[in-house]
Amino acid sequence: MLDFKSVSPYTLGVELELQVINPHTQDLTRGGPDLLQALEKVAHPGEVKPEITESMIELNSSPHARHDSLLEELHAMRDAVVHTAGSLNLAIAGGGTHPFHRWHDRRIFPTERFLQLSSLYGYLAKQFTVFGQHIHVACESGDDAVYLTHQLSRYIPHFIALSAASPFSQGEDTSFETSRLHAVSAFPLSGHMPPVSSWAEFEDFFAKMLGYGIIGGIKDFYWDIRPKPEFGTVEVRICDTPLEVDTAAALAAFVQALAFWLLVERPYPADRVEEGLYLVYGYNRFQATRFGFDATLVDPRSQQSLVLRDDLLATLERLQPFADVLGSQAPLARLAAMTRGEGNGSTWLRACHEESGALEDVVRRSAQRWAGGA
Amino acid sequence: MDGNAFPSFLPALPLALGPAALFGSLLLAGLLGGEIAQRLKLPRLLGWLLAGLLLGQGAAGLFPGNSLEPLLGETRLFFDVAVGLILFDLGRRLDLSWFRRDRSLLAAALLESALAFAAMAGVLCLFGFSRLEAGMAAAIGLSSAPAVVWLVARESRAEGQVTERCLALVAINTLMACLVATSLLSAAHAEYQAPWRTALLHPLYLLLGSVLLGAVAARLVLWGARLLGKGPQARLSQFVLLAAFLLAAVGLAHALKLSVFLALLVFGLACRQWDRRYVLLSVDLGGAAQLFYIVLFVLTGASLPLAAVTAAGLPALAYVAARSLGKTAGVMLTAPFSHIRWQQHGWLSLALLPMSGVAIALVHDLTSLFPQFGERLGNLVLAAVVLLELLGPLAVHTAFKRAGETRQEGAEHA
Repeated sequence: MLDFKSVSPYTLGVELELQVINPHTQDLTRGGPDLLQALEKVAHPGEVKPEITESMIELNSSPHARHDSLLEELHAMRDAVVHTAGSLNLAIAGGGTHPFHRWHDRRIFPTERFLQLSSLYGYLAKQFTVFGQHIHVACESGDDAVYLTHQLSRYIPHFIALSAASPFSQGEDTSFETSRLHAVSAFPLSGHMPPVSSWAEFEDFFAKMLGYGIIGGIKDFYWDIRPKPEFGTVEVRICDTPLEVDTAAALAAFVQALAFWLLVERPYPADRVEEGLYLVYGYNRFQATRFGFDATLVDPRSQQSLVLRDDLLATLERLQPFADVLGSQAPLARLAAMTRGEGNGSTWLRACHEESGALEDVVRRSAQRWAGGA
Repeated sequence: MDGNAFPSFLPALPLALGPAALFGSLLLAGLLGGEIAQRLKLPRLLGWLLAGLLLGQGAAGLFPGNSLEPLLGETRLFFDVAVGLILFDLGRRLDLSWFRRDRSLLAAALLESALAFAAMAGVLCLFGFSRLEAGMAAAIGLSSAPAVVWLVARESRAEGQVTERCLALVAINTLMACLVATSLLSAAHAEYQAPWRTALLHPLYLLLGSVLLGAVAARLVLWGARLLGKGPQARLSQFVLLAAFLLAAVGLAHALKLSVFLALLVFGLACRQWDRRYVLLSVDLGGAAQLFYIVLFVLTGASLPLAAVTAAGLPALAYVAARSLGKTAGVMLTAPFSHIRWQQHGWLSLALLPMSGVAIALVHDLTSLFPQFGERLGNLVLAAVVLLELLGPLAVHTAFKRAGETRQEGAEHA
């Protein structure tokens, strides 16, 4: 049986995958192992871990009840990592993709799991050198987790538009707001959770997949949102790593407020999965990756077309009372300002490129912004 | 056959090859050596060197009593262009602010140069060389092989702390070698009864002139690059601009009797520090520069005087040992204060051991200034270069590989 760990509900945690950059070429470099080793000697909160290729590292926060303590910890972690990287002449940047690295230059981080993934997935493993933010929000039971996973799926386009920070890939402007998600979609176990409506049904599905030998555990599902029973959380995995920690913490606060609202008010039925939810899923997801805030979404319930920007602002408005309780007014106001006109990470990256003409310069400024400088 | 019977429209014998044919032949020899080395899983540049060595020994055999001196004289320009390009690239890679962010690296840079200098000079004094001779030889020995390190790093696609630190330390110790050797010229002039004005002004002219030339070239090329603009369509123009300035800088340094090495190293360094917005930093010298690098190593191989090893004997071995000891001690002593492991410091020390063509050129320059001085010193330094140049590519390759920084086998065509 798959036990769902019970933890204090609405507790937050984030994982941030980051780019390790050689400041001479501004290209990705295999600095991950050296950086992780150096960080062993440096006191910092949270954890820093390897990722599939040696040009990536991952920051894991500790669990937090509120946005402000999460943000404080992320600042401390960022400072430790940026400072240590500096002593190794490495730079660190956010963003969902590196604008011009060539995937075949990457090297697999030689841990047992990553080598196994590399031998299974071939070139997809190196192409998976993309950088995402994962947000964990705790719930009381497996049934709640299944409900929340389904209901949050309606907000996948919103998360995409807010976090998008990967307009460039392999040296070109892709015309997408996020090009990172294409690297994820190539995997056979990507997509969304099947339409199970209770934890018991989920366990049944899980046992079958295990029995077929298709998976070894939850971690083999590369879904956009997945329950994480060993943490007692639902994990939202759709976001690009933003260009700075403040947006990362704000996105976490947004997920927390949504979870709070959905689980407290239960505005939608819990005993069955609404049919329309996953019929529009792929289309809405594509719209958001391509057009960001200007995407046209289909609302599965009303069957009306709506502009993502309007729906996002309405959602943030609806969450106000819950944000008041959680102490998240400031981060939600930040997201509202981005939605209204400031734009997302991709807006900023494209403006940088427009101004300087060289993607190397875009990476340099992006690393500066990550370090808190721009 | 009597040469006089030749019709006048035919070329006179023996044929004068001229620089173009010479360049081509050296390239072909290098190509052959490189291919063989690669098939033996050895660094290509070891093949280039050995091809040159065979060529040099062969030529000496074909023309008995005739050294390669005229050939080296004719090809010195190729040599300077190649080393100049490498020093420029090394300088361009070096972000001086790294030394501020990691004081242990600064300490390593200063210590390895200081200890190696003291050890080499001390040992040579023990062997009865004058203080000036010992100091000069020690100054020349400061430089690790910039070309070897740079090319092995490129060929093996090495990435990581050992590679990056090695490139930074080589840039610094080559700079030190140029600065100290030039400063010691004062003492040398005084020793050989030159007027005091020469003793004072010659090093000053060399130092200030070379630094100024490098700095002005950097300012001008950056100004030009900004006019050309950025982006993919400007790439070719940027490359041509940079190549033009590099060749002009080497040529000007020659014409002005300045130090090509110092000027080009400063040129690169200044570009790195001033080109904050990556107008020119990403321009790769690429395949064009590669041709010069091959010729550089074939020439270096051809000019390695194997006989010098036996002639110089024990003092040369002691000089090599002192140098190795000093450099290793300098790097290892800073290990506890650094963020990288002591094993990595070990590989770093190994990668700093090679000596190179830069030393040959410095000896050559010194000999042309002070023939009697160069004679005593020349054999000694050249013997050390023979030993450390031939081992160099393997040492650097081993260091980068064992540190886990070279590209994995079989991954090249993935």
